[in-house]
Amino acid sequence: MTAFYEWVASLAARGTLPEIFQYAFFVRGLLSVLLLAPLLGGMSHLVVARRLSFFSAALGQAALTGLSIGIVLGEPLNAAYGGIFGFCFLAALTMVYVKRHASLPSDTLVGVFLSMSLGLGICLLVVVTKRFNIHQVEAVMFGSLLTVTDADLALLLGIGVAVAVILALAYNYLLLDSLDTSLGRVSGVWSAFVDYLFVMLLTAAIVVSLKVIGALLVEAMVVVPAAAARNLARTTRSYLALSILTALLAGIGGLFVSSRLLVPSGGAVVLAMSALFFVTLALAGVRSVLGRTPATDGGG
Amino acid sequence: MVEIRDLTVARDGRRLLSDVELIVQSGSVHLLVGPNGAGKSTLFAAVLGLIEFTGTIRYRWRRSGRIGYVPQSFSVDRTLPLTVGEFLALSRQRWPVCLGIGQAVRARVREILVQVGLPDFFSRPLGSLSGGELQRALLANAIDPLPELLLLDEPASGLDEIAVRQFEETIAALRQSGGTSVLMVSHDLGQVRRIADRVTLLDQVVRRTGAPTQVLTGDLADSLAGGSGRVS
Repeated sequence: MTAFYEWVASLAARGTLPEIFQYAFFVRGLLSVLLLAPLLGGMSHLVVARRLSFFSAALGQAALTGLSIGIVLGEPLNAAYGGIFGFCFLAALTMVYVKRHASLPSDTLVGVFLSMSLGLGICLLVVVTKRFNIHQVEAVMFGSLLTVTDADLALLLGIGVAVAVILALAYNYLLLDSLDTSLGRVSGVWSAFVDYLFVMLLTAAIVVSLKVIGALLVEAMVVVPAAAARNLARTTRSYLALSILTALLAGIGGLFVSSRLLVPSGGAVVLAMSALFFVTLALAGVRSVLGRTPATDGGG
Repeated sequence: MVEIRDLTVARDGRRLLSDVELIVQSGSVHLLVGPNGAGKSTLFAAVLGLIEFTGTIRYRWRRSGRIGYVPQSFSVDRTLPLTVGEFLALSRQRWPVCLGIGQAVRARVREILVQVGLPDFFSRPLGSLSGGELQRALLANAIDPLPELLLLDEPASGLDEIAVRQFEETIAALRQSGGTSVLMVSHDLGQVRRIADRVTLLDQVVRRTGAPTQVLTGDLADSLAGGSGRVS
């Protein structure tokens, strides 16, 4: 990868690329965004369809707790994947199990898990901050380009491709089950299986994206692209395409803003994504006004 | 044929169905009637394997063993970007629908939409359909490929009179095909008389079962209309 970064830096030095490309950390961050934006943006419409927005927020919090556990168990701050993956998978599977077996509404259950996870994470952070500077922990919470390594990129690529392939194979089943469990059942969809499968894929995708987006903001990455796309999309195809486009534009734009203004990359990306949401909302409003005719107004 | 023996479903200590015995003969149209809360939808959930129960449900398939199903309620978010064509393609192709619909599936879906009286609805958003149109889209989903057992949970609710007749013609055509057994919930006693081979009156237990003329006696209509929930 060093040769690649040097080649990109030489292009930047010649003025072919913007100056910021001289820095390998920025190129790594950009590559991360180019991988994670289609992944999370593409998953976002299924997250919304399966009503897992709040669940995703809880997973982000669980990642923070997982990081603390990893560090307490001796993992390095920059690569505490054992703790993060372990705790996030445990939390995700437990949440789905309890949701499927309890009679309480799912958002209430997720709220309980979120609080529990946050409580544990905060207690463990006390231990973590004795060993690390709080700013290093902030990078995990809010995302930082500086912390992305080539190993993180390789992990993101490997897991991203695996998640995308499995999602493509299971997509129709997942969407059918999201619409109506009984309709899915008669089409051969085993609801429990796709329920567990999707949260595991979502957990994996979220964990490998934490470095750039941050534990507290990763939820936005799997909710806002779908929300923005929904304002304009009419078909599932355009829904997917617009979700990915929103995530990519916000990811790349946010990255440049982050490097210019020296603000956390996660915050900048999420702000850019929110701005795109309002742009699509306005466009939808304009389309609605332009398309409103007496004939369509009375449609029913 | 479907044979249900001693079917009991309980939830939170309360029996929703108790010792239900029911046989749906091959190629017959079997209607379920009963007051609200009688357990009709619960019976369907048990047949579909969605809930736990005691007793036995035996299927004696002759062909594919495919079950078609139209649920009683199917709420679609009105802003959901999913067209009728995409919805019907979901269970008809392996390729992810979000990446496009294959030519053969597209043609097949258009055909079944014509069959249920929705010829120009392929590109219409599913969320924009009226209650009756949505019921017909669900019926289209249920009858292709030809099911061996068709479960219809109040499929005619929300349909206008023309659509009801069209729906009944579809059921008649399925019966003529010979291979499809239909188990259907209906509150329209006129419809029961028109299309049923057999009728079962369910009210947590099977109260009566037999030919429509045997089951639909005068007191039954009064009981169902009065909502007393009890028919002796």
